[in-house]
Amino acid sequence: MNTRFLEKEYDYVKPATLDEALDILAEKENVKVLAGGTDLIVKLKTDALEDMDIMMDINSIDELCGCCINADGDLVIGATAKISHLEKNDDIKAAYPALSEAMHAMASVSVRNMATMGGNFMNASPVADTAGPAMCYGAQVCLKSKKGERTIDATEFFLKPGVTAAEDDELLTGFVIPKPADNTGAAFVKIGRVKSDIAKVSITAVMEREGDTVKSCRLAMGSVAPKPLFLADIGAGLEGQKMTEELIMKTADQIRDFVKPIGDHGTTAEYRKEMSGLIARDCLMEAWKRSGGELA
Amino acid sequence: MSKHRITLTVNGEVHRLTVKSNELLLNVLRDRLHLTGAKYGCGIAECGACTVLKGDESVMSCLVPAVAADGWELTTAEGLVTADGELNVVQEEFLEKSAVQCGFCTPGMVVASTALLRENPDPTEDEVRDYLRGNFCRCTGYHAIVEAVLAAAVDAQNGGRL
Amino acid sequence: MYLNHLKPENAPHGEEYCTSMIGKNTHRWDGPAKVSGTMEYPSDVYVPGMLYGAVLYSPYAHANIVSVDTSEAEAMGAVCLTYEDVPKTVYNERSVSTPAGTYRDRIILPNKARHVGEPLMAVAAPTEELAYKALHALKVEYEVLPAVYDPEEAMKDGAPQLYDKIFLDEEEITVKNNVGVVRNIYEGDVEEGLRQADRVFEDDYSVGRIYQAQLEPKAAVVKPEVDGSLTVWGTCQSIHACRQLLGFLFQKPLSKINVKKMPFGGGFGSSIHVNTVIPICAALAVKSGKPVKICNTREGDFYSHNKYPTKFHVRLGVTNDGVITAGEVKALVDFGAHQIQPLPYMGCTAGWFASLYKYCGNITFEGTAVYTNKTPCCAMQGYGNPQVNFAIESMIDEICNEMGFDPIEFRLKNIRTIGDEFWAQGPTVRSIIKSSGTEEGLIEGAKKFDFANRGKFEDKTGKIRRGSGVARGFHASGTGGPKPGEVIDYSFATVKINEDGSVDVLTPVTDHGGGTWDAIRKIVAEVLQVPLDLVGLSPADTMNTGYDVCTHATRGTYCGGGAARNAALRLREKLFVMAGEMMDEKPDDLEVVMDPKQHQGCVQVKGYPEKRMTINEIARNAWIWSRGTLVHSESYRQKNAPPCFTVHFVEVEVNMETGVITLPRVLIYGDCGTPINPDLVKGQLVGAFNRGLGYTMYEWLPTDEETGALLNKGLFVDYKTPTAYEMPKVDNLQVELCKCYEPSGPFGAKGIGEAALASVQSAISNAIYNAIGIRFHEIPITPERVLEALKEKEAQA
Repeated sequence: MNTRFLEKEYDYVKPATLDEALDILAEKENVKVLAGGTDLIVKLKTDALEDMDIMMDINSIDELCGCCINADGDLVIGATAKISHLEKNDDIKAAYPALSEAMHAMASVSVRNMATMGGNFMNASPVADTAGPAMCYGAQVCLKSKKGERTIDATEFFLKPGVTAAEDDELLTGFVIPKPADNTGAAFVKIGRVKSDIAKVSITAVMEREGDTVKSCRLAMGSVAPKPLFLADIGAGLEGQKMTEELIMKTADQIRDFVKPIGDHGTTAEYRKEMSGLIARDCLMEAWKRSGGELA
Repeated sequence: MSKHRITLTVNGEVHRLTVKSNELLLNVLRDRLHLTGAKYGCGIAECGACTVLKGDESVMSCLVPAVAADGWELTTAEGLVTADGELNVVQEEFLEKSAVQCGFCTPGMVVASTALLRENPDPTEDEVRDYLRGNFCRCTGYHAIVEAVLAAAVDAQNGGRL
Repeated sequence: MYLNHLKPENAPHGEEYCTSMIGKNTHRWDGPAKVSGTMEYPSDVYVPGMLYGAVLYSPYAHANIVSVDTSEAEAMGAVCLTYEDVPKTVYNERSVSTPAGTYRDRIILPNKARHVGEPLMAVAAPTEELAYKALHALKVEYEVLPAVYDPEEAMKDGAPQLYDKIFLDEEEITVKNNVGVVRNIYEGDVEEGLRQADRVFEDDYSVGRIYQAQLEPKAAVVKPEVDGSLTVWGTCQSIHACRQLLGFLFQKPLSKINVKKMPFGGGFGSSIHVNTVIPICAALAVKSGKPVKICNTREGDFYSHNKYPTKFHVRLGVTNDGVITAGEVKALVDFGAHQIQPLPYMGCTAGWFASLYKYCGNITFEGTAVYTNKTPCCAMQGYGNPQVNFAIESMIDEICNEMGFDPIEFRLKNIRTIGDEFWAQGPTVRSIIKSSGTEEGLIEGAKKFDFANRGKFEDKTGKIRRGSGVARGFHASGTGGPKPGEVIDYSFATVKINEDGSVDVLTPVTDHGGGTWDAIRKIVAEVLQVPLDLVGLSPADTMNTGYDVCTHATRGTYCGGGAARNAALRLREKLFVMAGEMMDEKPDDLEVVMDPKQHQGCVQVKGYPEKRMTINEIARNAWIWSRGTLVHSESYRQKNAPPCFTVHFVEVEVNMETGVITLPRVLIYGDCGTPINPDLVKGQLVGAFNRGLGYTMYEWLPTDEETGALLNKGLFVDYKTPTAYEMPKVDNLQVELCKCYEPSGPFGAKGIGEAALASVQSAISNAIYNAIGIRFHEIPITPERVLEALKEKEAQA
C-alpha cells in the first residue's frame, strides 16, 4: 500500500566499490539496485515489486557517478549521474539535444535531481523518455558482472515491460554514446496530459544530412508498444532519399500506420496512433532543420 | 531488516541517528526530528509537498530512504528562516504577494522556489512555471506563487537573502 | 510603565497598520508560520502515548462480511475494531441541514461493503508500521455481491440493491430501485411558458466525477481523557458538527467532547461533513483507552469522497425578442454508496438554476439521486452550482448563437439582479438581491476583453483556432434567510479587550486557507478602531465557542465576519460605558478612532477630539481599579444570503491537430461586495479558475467496472490537475473586483469562494464553441474528445 512509510522490509547495503557491488549481485538473491530511487521506491510503495530482499545503493561507487567525453569523443554517462545534471550538461546540450530535451521532459525537477538514466533503463517502462534518444544516438549499455563486462546496443536492451536484457548478476554501469557525425540533427517530441507527466506518446529522430539528402536516420518511439520502440526499418528507409516535406509527411503516415498502441488511463489507442504521425512529422522537420537542412 | 548509523545535517544541525533500512527521509524529518515543514501529500513524488533541499537542489523526501541520505546536508522550510526569525526573500514574497492559502503546499513550494533562484537568479516566467510543475497547489491557481518567485528573484539580486 | 508598552516602535508593522485596513492588502495572520513550515496541521499533531490507526478499506464494491478473525492482529499487540465493536447508530456525517431533511444510511464500520474503499475495520498500534502489519493480518471472509455502477442501470428492476431501509430523520424509509432521493420543485407553469416561446431549446449535459484533491489527506487525532471525555484534532470545516456527531454516536453529552479548531490542508467541501476517519479514530480511542491518530493515505482519501457527477436534461423557451419564458431541468445524480446529502444538493442545484435567470417565473426542477456502488459524493466548491451552471450557461450560449442574440445583452435582459428573488440554498432559503456586480462584469468585461470582436467560428481557419466565451455565475454568501429554512445557519464570536488595550477575537469559524480569519480580525479592528496588529486570534474549540454551523456555502466572511462585527459593536457599547464613566461623558457622545502616533485605538468625545483616552488607558485603568474585563460574546444569525457574482471571459486556442486547448487570455470579474483583503479575494478567483480548468479539461475519475475500483487506483499518477505550467501567464489572467457594496454584509462584504468556480466551466466550453463550432455537452473536454468531435464534424460535413 502507498502508506506514508515503506511497508516492505529488506536489508540495505551500500558497496563502496564496483567489485563489492558485483560480489553482492553474484552472491545474493533478490537484490535490487538503488540509484535515484524514483522508480524503485514508488514500486515498493505500490506493491509492484515483491521479490526484493536487499536494496543495494550504488551511489557511493565513484566511477558510476560521472559524465564525460572520452578519448574517442564519445559521451560516457555513469549509472548514477543525475538526470538534472545531464540535461544541463553543455556537451550533452550541444551534441545530443534530443537526449537533453527528453531528460528535461521527464517528471519534475525535484525528481530529476534524484533520478538517473540507468534507472530509467532498468525500470524498462514503455514510456521511458531517455530510451528513444539513447537508441537513436546508438548508445551502448554497459553491463558488468563478476563474469565480465559487455555492452548491449540500446535497441536490444528492452525485452518487455519491466524486463531488460541485463542478467540478475549484472549491474548497469553506464552508457557510451557515440559522437554524432557532423551535420546531424536530432529532436525529441512528447505529448503528456500535463507538462509533468509520463508520455501519452513520444518520438525521437536523429538524422544525418548530406547535402539535401538523408545520409542516415534513426527513429524511436515511446508509449506505443510494450517496450520503447525502435523504428529501424522506417528510419533506414529514409537513407539516401532527398529530403522534402512530402517525404516527411509520407514517413509520418507510415509511422502512424505502423504503430499499434493500446489505450489506458492516460489516453486512447486512437489518440496515440493519430498523435504518432503528428509528432513524427514535427520531430522529423525539427531534426532536419537542426541538421542544417532546408525543405524543398 | 538492517539498521544503520547515519549522519544528517538538517538546517545546520548535525544529527546522528540509527535508522532502519526502510525508513524514509520524510518520516525521519517529521517523526524523529519533529520538523513539520516537509509534508506527506501523495507518498510517490507526484505533489511536491515533501520537497526539501539537498545542498542547493530540491529533492522529494518521500522517495528517499533515510539511510541513503547519510552525509547529506538538508534544508527544510524551517531552515530558510534565520535564528532571529528573518524569512528568506522567497518566504517574504509569498506573504507579500498573498501566495499562501491553506499553506500545506507552501513549505515545499518555498523550498523548490529557493532552489530555482539559487540555480537561476533571473528566471523568466516560463522558467518559473516549468520549474514548479511538480509542486502541486490546489488553492492558489499558482498565479500569486509565480509572482512571488519573480519578485523574490529581484529581491535576491538586490542583496536579499535567499 | 507596566502594561503601558503599546508603542509604534514596538509594532511589527509600525504605522502602516494603524489606519483602516478594510479593502487593503495585509499580510496573513498565519502567513509566517505557513511559509516557514511551522504551522501545525492535523497530520502534524502528536500526543504523547498515542497509537497509530490504520483502516481496512473494502477491496470489493459490494460484499457482505461473512466472518472476521482478528486474533492474529491482536496477538501482534494491535487493538482491532470491527462491526461488533462500534455503535450501531445510523448516521449522516453532514449536519448542515435540519434533521427533518437529512437521510441517514451509514454506521461507523458496517458489516456490508457498498463501495471499493469503504472502511470496514480498523486497527491501532504503537507504531504506524505495526498498525499496517496488523491490518494485513486481519482475516476477513467476504460474500461478494453483484455491484452496479451506472445510475440508470441501478434504477432498473432486478439491479443489485445497496439498501433495504434507511432513515429520514426518525422515520424508516424503504429504498426502491436504489433511488435515494427524489426532489421535484415547480413554480409557475413551464408548459404554458414554453407555449409562449418562439423557440424551445432542449438538450442533455453531463459533468463527471472528480476528486477534491485537497493537498492534506484527511487526518484525525482523538484523545480519551480520564473523565471519559474526548479531545479531538481533525480535518474539519466545522468543529461543532464534529462534536455533535461524536456525541450522538458515542452517546456522550456534548460537554464531554471537545473538538479543537485547526488549520487544515485544503477543504473544497471535502470536510463539510465529518470525515469518515474521525468517528473511526474516536472508536479506536474509546476502545483502546489511548490517544489514536489516523492519517488517510492518499488512496484512502480518493475513496472517501468525490464530487457529485450529474446528468441534466434541459429545456428553455425563448421568444424572438430575447425573453426566456420557461426553464426546466431534470437531473440525475449518481451519488455513490452513501447519502452525504443529495437531498439538499438537488435543492441547491434547483436554486442555482432558478436564480440564474427569471424564466418568467416558470420553473421546473425534477431531480433523482441514485445509489451506486461507488465512492460517496459530497460537496466540492459550489454544491451543484458549477454543475448546473455548465448546463444552463452552455445552453444560453447556444440560444444566442442560434437566434442571433448578443450574449451580453441577452443575459442582461434575463438575469436576476437587484430587487429580484434569490434562492440561496434551494427553494426554502430565499431573499431579495440587494447588490449585484453582474452588470459591471458583463458590460465592462466585454469592453475590456474586446469580446465583440471574437468573430465567428465559421470564419476561422488554420491549425490553431482562437475563440472567446463568456459565462456568468454566482453563489450564496451563507445560507441565512429572513426565516429559517432547511439549512441551519448561525455563528458566534467573542471579542475581548485585554488589559493593555490589545484585542482577542474568538471564533468557531474555520479557515480553509481563503483568509476568513484575517477578514474576521480586520472587521473587529475596524469596529474598535484598533490597529490590526494588536488584534489576536484566540485558539478555539467547541468548549470555548458557541455554535457555528460550518465554513461552507461561502459564508465565512459574511456570516462569521458578521458575528464578529456584531460582537465587536456590542463590546464597543460596553467600552463607551466604561470610558464614559472614566471620562465623565455620556456613552452616546463617544466615538473610537485610531491614533497612529500612539499606535492605539482611542475613545474620544465626538466633536471634541482633544478629550480622549487610549483604549490602553481605559483597559489598564479597568484592570488597576478591578473593573473587570471588557468582553462580549454573542451568537448571531445573518438573515440574508446575498449572492456574490462572477463573470468569466475566456479565450482559448484549439490545436486542430492535437486537440490540445490552451488559454491565451482570461478575464474574471468577481463581486464580493467590499473586498476585505483584495489579494485574497483575487486568490480565491484565480485558484477556483485553476480548479475549474481541471474540471473542464483534465480531471475525471472513472471506475473499473470489473472491480469497482478507481481506474487511477487512488494515485495522483493518473489524476492530473493543471499545474503552474498549464495556467495562463500572469499578464494574461486578469482579475477585476466589482465596485459593489452589500448593505447586509460586514462593511459591505459578501463571500466569493464558491462563486469563483461557478461559471469557469461554461465560459471555457463556450470559448471552444466560438473557436471550432463544436458544442461539448460533457466535461472533461480532453484532447481525445476534441479530436473525436472534430472528426465527427468533418464526417458530417
